Amino acid sequence: MAALTPQAVAVNSLQALIMGLVFAALGLGFNIVYRVSKSINLAHPALVLLAAYTALVVALRYHQGLAAAAAAAALVGAAAGAGLEALVARPLRGRPPIALIAATLGAYYVFKAVAKMAAGDLWTTASLPMPGLRLALGPVVVDSSDLLALGLAGGLLAAVVALHRWTRLGVAMRAVSEDPFGAAAYGLPVRRLTMLSWAIAGAAGGLAAVALAAKTGVEPDIEVYAIEALAASLLAGLDSIAGVVVGGLVLGLVYQYSNFLLGSVLPSFGDAAAFTLMLLVLLVKPYGLFGTERIERV
Amino acid sequence: MPAGVFKEKYSELMAHLRYPVHWAAAAAAALFLLLLPLAGAYPVSVAVDAAVFLVAAMGLNLTTGLAGQISLAQAALMGVGAYTVARTVAWLYSAGHPVAGLGLLLVPVAGLAAAAVGLALALPSFRLKGYYLAMASLAAQVLLAYLFRTVVDPNQGIVVPEEALTVAGVDFGSGPAMYYLVVGVAAVLALVAANVGRSSLGRAMKAVRDNDVSAAIVGIDVARTKALAFALGAFYAGVAGALYTVYNHGASWDAFTLATSIDLLAMVLVGGAGRVVWGSLLGVLLLRSLWGNLDAVLTGLPAVNMLGGVDAVKYLVFGLLVAYFVVEEPEGLIGVLRRVKEYLRLWPFSY
Repeated sequence: MAALTPQAVAVNSLQALIMGLVFAALGLGFNIVYRVSKSINLAHPALVLLAAYTALVVALRYHQGLAAAAAAAALVGAAAGAGLEALVARPLRGRPPIALIAATLGAYYVFKAVAKMAAGDLWTTASLPMPGLRLALGPVVVDSSDLLALGLAGGLLAAVVALHRWTRLGVAMRAVSEDPFGAAAYGLPVRRLTMLSWAIAGAAGGLAAVALAAKTGVEPDIEVYAIEALAASLLAGLDSIAGVVVGGLVLGLVYQYSNFLLGSVLPSFGDAAAFTLMLLVLLVKPYGLFGTERIERV
Repeated sequence: MPAGVFKEKYSELMAHLRYPVHWAAAAAAALFLLLLPLAGAYPVSVAVDAAVFLVAAMGLNLTTGLAGQISLAQAALMGVGAYTVARTVAWLYSAGHPVAGLGLLLVPVAGLAAAAVGLALALPSFRLKGYYLAMASLAAQVLLAYLFRTVVDPNQGIVVPEEALTVAGVDFGSGPAMYYLVVGVAAVLALVAANVGRSSLGRAMKAVRDNDVSAAIVGIDVARTKALAFALGAFYAGVAGALYTVYNHGASWDAFTLATSIDLLAMVLVGGAGRVVWGSLLGVLLLRSLWGNLDAVLTGLPAVNMLGGVDAVKYLVFGLLVAYFVVEEPEGLIGVLRRVKEYLRLWPFSY
């Protein structure tokens, strides 16, 4: 068991902050989709995988910069999200949850296959090319991958929350999620807004994938992080947008410290801790900290 | 098929084999299954694998198809059954108690152990449903798989010795004896599953699936029904895991991951959710026996290599198949077959 010296606490807390924001960015896609469609998009983790390999292909095969790679990942993510809405979510409106769960799991495998086909010989563990920058603040060392992950995830979260809260588009999206029939009665294009929400969720997943890839490298099962991010979404409440930051930070702390404290005894204990957190949230407070409780009527 | 209902007793109406064609089909199927070992080792291994996954899929079909409780943890429950057998045998043998046939004696115990874990998995279902319940079972699946990997089976694989599978000189771990054991257990469990749907418990499950609040209003004990649905489905999974251990002479955690759970859910939904025996059978035959055994064929095709290899193509076709069936054929293959049957009944007339 590792010792909790002040130095270790400083290092681990910074890493927990970075991983927490990355988890929050990954979980954002679940929440945006849940708000408009009241469903969990289980293809989102594979969308993250697809975007991560897109970024890798753009950076390593076509030798473009990180900005181009991130833009490509966001575009691919947005296209995948919009396609998913048009081909899977819209035909399944009004069907029981099992239908959308299974259909998005099908899409999960399709995305994974497409990622493997697009990656070709890059379908390995690799990392995005990073500028070799290192900052040392006493014992805490930050390198460029940490900074990129922090900046990208934090910026993405701020942008989505701001979009949602202060723009006309955000108001329209909130209206659609509160009451689609009312929104339609006021002349809002509900179908286009729903599709746009899925596309935004996909783009957020794509950018989060780049942040994650900067932090952990790209690997064929990188989507596990995005499945773990479900814990952040559930802790926040699936219909809360800003709350996912809190959920992500809690998940980051749990993940980082359980890996640090028990990782030597039980390998990759952080993953198990993330799913334990998820199960606990579901058992104790299923609608999360900021979510609205569902009241059932017959 | 007769042109009307000429049954005089309820027992005749309720029988599984109602018409001569049913008897003929059942006799043909029994003969086929009895004589299959003559065809060689490969058909036997495919049939045994199908039977094991049929048992697991029927269990999931009871929980998810009949009672509507979405579970992504069926593979973990198979693992509970498999490790009940493998760990107990390994432990007793290393402690110097080589009980002959122990592995077979433990098959029902494995079912009960998995049913106990299944009851624990039913706890979230008392409060949650739909997506939230699915997420709880997903978390449970990943956690159990993690426990298998790190605590139960840290050395990647526990071997069950042949003596543990031998009863009265017959080795049930291989060859025709193993085949008849596994297929026989699967057939008995299929008969039980077919009857669960027609019992009061089965009707209660369907009521809970269709609307659990309404079911509670008409006097069904919803919590008990959900708990029984999970326990029953988990029992099937446990037996399937134990049989898996018998025919593999051991257990390894990588067979019981989330991917296997997703496969099982796909089998149930593509075959036909709610049609416990036939739906599960069709799903297993299509997704496991047929699609799972096409590696050798696919490897030879140039188009497959162009598309990124066998794995990518298998993922792609599997995903498209599942998504297509869920979107376009919600009743699954069994619904397609029913339409074919209705069409052929009147053929060549269209009405």
